[in-house]
Amino acid sequence: MEGIILFLSTLIVSVIQVSIPFLVKRTVVFGVTVPMDHTNHAVIKQSKKRYSLITGVLSLGVLTTFLVWSMSTTPTDVQMALMGTILPMIVIVTSLVLYFYFHVKISKLKKEQSWFEGKKQVKISDLNIRAKDEMLPWYVVSLPILLTIGLMAFTAANYNQFPDQIPVHWGADGQPDAYTDKSVLSVFSLPIILLVLQGMFLGIIELTKRSGIKIRPTNNQASKKRQINLRKYTSWLLLLVSLLLTMLFSFLQAMTLYGNMFGDMMIMLVPLIFMFLTLAGAVVFAIKVGKVDSDLDEVVVTGQDDKVEEYDEDRYWIGGMIYFNKQDPSVLVEKRFGIGMTVNFARPMAYMVLVVPILLILLLSFL
Amino acid sequence: MYIQIEPESDIPIYSQVSTQVMEGIIRGELAAGEVLPSVRGLASDLGVNMHTINKSYHDLEAKGVITIVPKSGAVISVAPLKGASKEQTDLLSEKLRPTVVEAMVSGMNDDEIHALVDSIMRNVREMK
Repeated sequence: MEGIILFLSTLIVSVIQVSIPFLVKRTVVFGVTVPMDHTNHAVIKQSKKRYSLITGVLSLGVLTTFLVWSMSTTPTDVQMALMGTILPMIVIVTSLVLYFYFHVKISKLKKEQSWFEGKKQVKISDLNIRAKDEMLPWYVVSLPILLTIGLMAFTAANYNQFPDQIPVHWGADGQPDAYTDKSVLSVFSLPIILLVLQGMFLGIIELTKRSGIKIRPTNNQASKKRQINLRKYTSWLLLLVSLLLTMLFSFLQAMTLYGNMFGDMMIMLVPLIFMFLTLAGAVVFAIKVGKVDSDLDEVVVTGQDDKVEEYDEDRYWIGGMIYFNKQDPSVLVEKRFGIGMTVNFARPMAYMVLVVPILLILLLSFL
Repeated sequence: MYIQIEPESDIPIYSQVSTQVMEGIIRGELAAGEVLPSVRGLASDLGVNMHTINKSYHDLEAKGVITIVPKSGAVISVAPLKGASKEQTDLLSEKLRPTVVEAMVSGMNDDEIHALVDSIMRNVREMK
């Protein structure tokens, strides 16, 4: 069963890695801003294909090796966990190396052929765009928090019925395999962790809402649609994950209280379904966001004004991946290579987003 | 309506933003009572410093084009276009002078300078 989870997650990581060059914004190729009329340049097309081909073949190799290995031997849990970390890492590290190779290559080409010469670089903004923002409002996103408060009340009401040993870890079969002594903290640890995660999601959604809606002069309709979709589906995905986590944690809490009342099958299936739905949500998110204003978008609006180009923001992107712009008040911006958001490292708030949740979770696990 | 700025231009960004808002009013794309985005919102959308947009809004307020209402934000003034006052005319004349002088010294004649101003006005009204 663990094998299936590992195989599926490695497969999804691979599929996303392979398709990234075709899902990102059309005018940013391997983290390099490219003028609209050069996006079909032979070298660019060839680089994207090569990247996908190499990562694709490698992923197939890795997945086949895994299948053969797990079927011909009977791996232990430790071996399985090790493989599960190494396999996706091989795919991710290789695609990162390839990314940098093509990033340098396209940067050089752009410099040599001075693609931006004679172009007026402008930034645009739609004054009415915030009225068209479709992000879920904060009170909808906060709904799962109400459920968590309910779970806390339920836990408090039944505190005496909780067993003396509280599970703190669950195996692949869904059965608890590590315990700690009963205390107020250990009984409430699941709801508290849940609350921290939900607070974090709420914070990310609020920061996304306050971040800039960045559109391009060379294709303002498509880029607007992409930004609106990115924001909308980020809030939906986070709400989905928040709800799923609430259900999973409530399920585990009920199991601790009432013992194995659901049967072994159910206990094994519930975490699996949770995982499957999360992965499915991530894939749908990537497709919904990635199909607009990318290579998958069939509609190409050109000739708006061929003297005008989008502002070349490469100077703010270290390695084409890390955003550092002191001027921009946005904490979260769209990723350049990948689907989703990344932080603006010039904003102190960005470090809060990265560090605080990790600290909180660590603190809880050491208390 | 769209705001378009050119970060590398000699004209400061705050002034580009102010000019674009005023052009929007001339074309009727921005009506009296309409609210401009918050300073933070517009600055993040354009990826520019908040001080830049703040300066632009205060500049527009000083010109009587917008009113900054606490809690509501920057509102396009209800009746800004009732003709320039004596002081305003003097100020405009002072600002226009260097440009006109430059045009004159380059050898443009009166008709050419008038035609240039006309073409700018046409451009402002018609641009979409």
